[in-house]
Amino acid sequence: MATREEMLGRIRREVRRAPGLFAASPAPRPAHPEEAAAALRREMMERWPAALARFQEELERVAGVFHRVASLAEVPGVIRDLARQRGARSVVGWEPAALGLDLRATLEPAGLSVTVAPPGGGESARLAHREAAAGAQIGVTGVDWALAETGTLILVSGSGRPRSTSLLPETHVAVFGKGHLLESLEQVGIMLEALHADAARSLSGAMINFITGPSRTADIELTLTRGVHGPKEVHAVFVEAL
Amino acid sequence: MSDQTLRTPFPERASAALKDTFLQQALGIATTKFIGLRQESFAGFPEGEALRDRARAVKEATLQKLDGYLAELADNVERLGGHVHWAATGEEAREIILRLCRDRGLRRVVKSKSMATEEIDLNKALEAAGVTPVETDLGEYIIQLAHEKPSHIIAPAIHKTKGQVAELFSKELKGHFAADPEVLTAAARKELRQKFLQADMGITGANFAVADTGTVVLVTNEGNGRMVTSLPRIHVAVMGIEKVIPSMTDLMLFLAILARSATGQKLSVYTTLVRGPRHPEELEGPEELHLILLDNGRSAQIAGKLREALYCLRCGACLNVCPVYRQIGGHAYGHTYPGPIGILLTAMLKGDRSVKELAHASSLCGACHEVCPVRIDIPRMLVELREGLDRDRIAPWGERLVFKMLGRVLGSPMLFGLAGRIGRVAQKPFVSDGRLTRLPLVFGRWTRSRDLPPVAAKTFTQRWKELQ
Repeated sequence: MATREEMLGRIRREVRRAPGLFAASPAPRPAHPEEAAAALRREMMERWPAALARFQEELERVAGVFHRVASLAEVPGVIRDLARQRGARSVVGWEPAALGLDLRATLEPAGLSVTVAPPGGGESARLAHREAAAGAQIGVTGVDWALAETGTLILVSGSGRPRSTSLLPETHVAVFGKGHLLESLEQVGIMLEALHADAARSLSGAMINFITGPSRTADIELTLTRGVHGPKEVHAVFVEAL
Repeated sequence: MSDQTLRTPFPERASAALKDTFLQQALGIATTKFIGLRQESFAGFPEGEALRDRARAVKEATLQKLDGYLAELADNVERLGGHVHWAATGEEAREIILRLCRDRGLRRVVKSKSMATEEIDLNKALEAAGVTPVETDLGEYIIQLAHEKPSHIIAPAIHKTKGQVAELFSKELKGHFAADPEVLTAAARKELRQKFLQADMGITGANFAVADTGTVVLVTNEGNGRMVTSLPRIHVAVMGIEKVIPSMTDLMLFLAILARSATGQKLSVYTTLVRGPRHPEELEGPEELHLILLDNGRSAQIAGKLREALYCLRCGACLNVCPVYRQIGGHAYGHTYPGPIGILLTAMLKGDRSVKELAHASSLCGACHEVCPVRIDIPRMLVELREGLDRDRIAPWGERLVFKMLGRVLGSPMLFGLAGRIGRVAQKPFVSDGRLTRLPLVFGRWTRSRDLPPVAAKTFTQRWKELQ
């Protein structure tokens, strides 16, 4: 079995032998990513309405569904309607602290079974939660960023924010506000550079998912089919007051 | 690809593909559709051309310090709690995975689509060791059930009809399934969902790995990549050493052009960034992450003639536009990587000798170079491969003799003029409808599958003189 030293040594020898095809450098990175990210957040406080319009357009282009409500208090109503139309019985959601609202108080009286993620880890909690998530028809999450130019929801996993909530149920509902909007992939790059520059945040969760519409495939005769492994539907709920 | 396939010479494999009318039709529809989607996507994206240049520069810059970036990547993956393995060959990579399975007593493996694991023929090795690998990308699942090999880098089952898939599912999944992509996709969803939940180990490739954050990046549309990296206890990622990129900023650049080149999407549905195994405060995710860095012939090309092929993102755009691929499809190439880039990658992994026929399976029209998101000059490298085959006496002696004579003739105005005069007379019995369709003797091998324009009645020089 090759060791690190052997393989890197061999690569190093080859690199030294090679002149390179042309003078080249990696993409220029923000010198102070956290400051750049803060400046961008301030700018977006001005520019978010145009970004929101673009986000809606792009989300719908990839077969996502856009909703707009005035406050967080109206979100359970959206979920209740979706559940009723789909005959859904059970909902799984992020921990209330991570989501910003407790779905149990409002959805359980409406006859829905609601499981929310516990904070932290642990083997028995994991197994119990997985079973609930696999059996739920609707998964409710927040987002870290909403990317306008592609209609993409970006979610960082972490305590109370399990990665499967946006994956296992057939319908994914993501709740976001104006402070989450970004315009371009380049800006996402700035945010991710900033996240990794901050030692505490860089260890917040082991997975970041970019989600651009419902799961899809065209593997059989190039016929576009939705919901092959991931959700068949993606709903993005914009909350004005958030 | 099986040794059996490779025992048939390439021209016969290609001829068989040309006679397969369904394959011809499926290839035509698929490749034309992909070309259209790609064009449409770049047409509405004027900054795309500049991004392609920048992405190319990042790939070249990374190769210029590849050892440093790999060391940085490995350090960061380990800092996040992952394990890094170094595999000089495909055999070493297989052994690392088999040992992981053996040591932990694992039997059930789910895989998301990965060309690197195809390259090292992992599934066969797992099966031989009593481990059941389940392919979970719909296309890969279909061909695994059918015991076949992928025919396109990003659409592995384009050679199958929905009728064939329905028949296959009805037999293998015990039930009756209509020849309807919706029904068949739902059947696969149900079947594979159980496999994801039961699996002990998830195996993936990697589209990119970011050196300065230790992040492994997967790009998928179906969500199987997310399942495989979220549910099983252990995640193993196999990546070629050339997939490392310096930073998150660079990653955004590649994401902007990868899906557009492959399927015409602005982004694929899921881009998954894996930052080590599950963190202690997290509920879900694998306990162990193993990253296998695979060389398998790559490092020898850092300073070699195929260096530029190390830029490849595996988007498949060059397959769709290639007039040869469009006619014969992926299987006829006979190796893991088909199409124009596949010829170069095969030479990289298995040596020049393995492509002595395939090096000629290109018209050198340049369409592949034009669509490549990182502008890899595939035709240039194909020509250099052909040159090497001649120089190293790998090509048959007859071929080398013909080219040597041709070189003489083309290099001398006197001989060239003489050859023209001879040709003009000698071709007379073989011209029909203004084409040379059947030449005698050994020359007949050329015209067996192509026509030649005849030698013109007057040379250009003569006509030029007359015009003056």
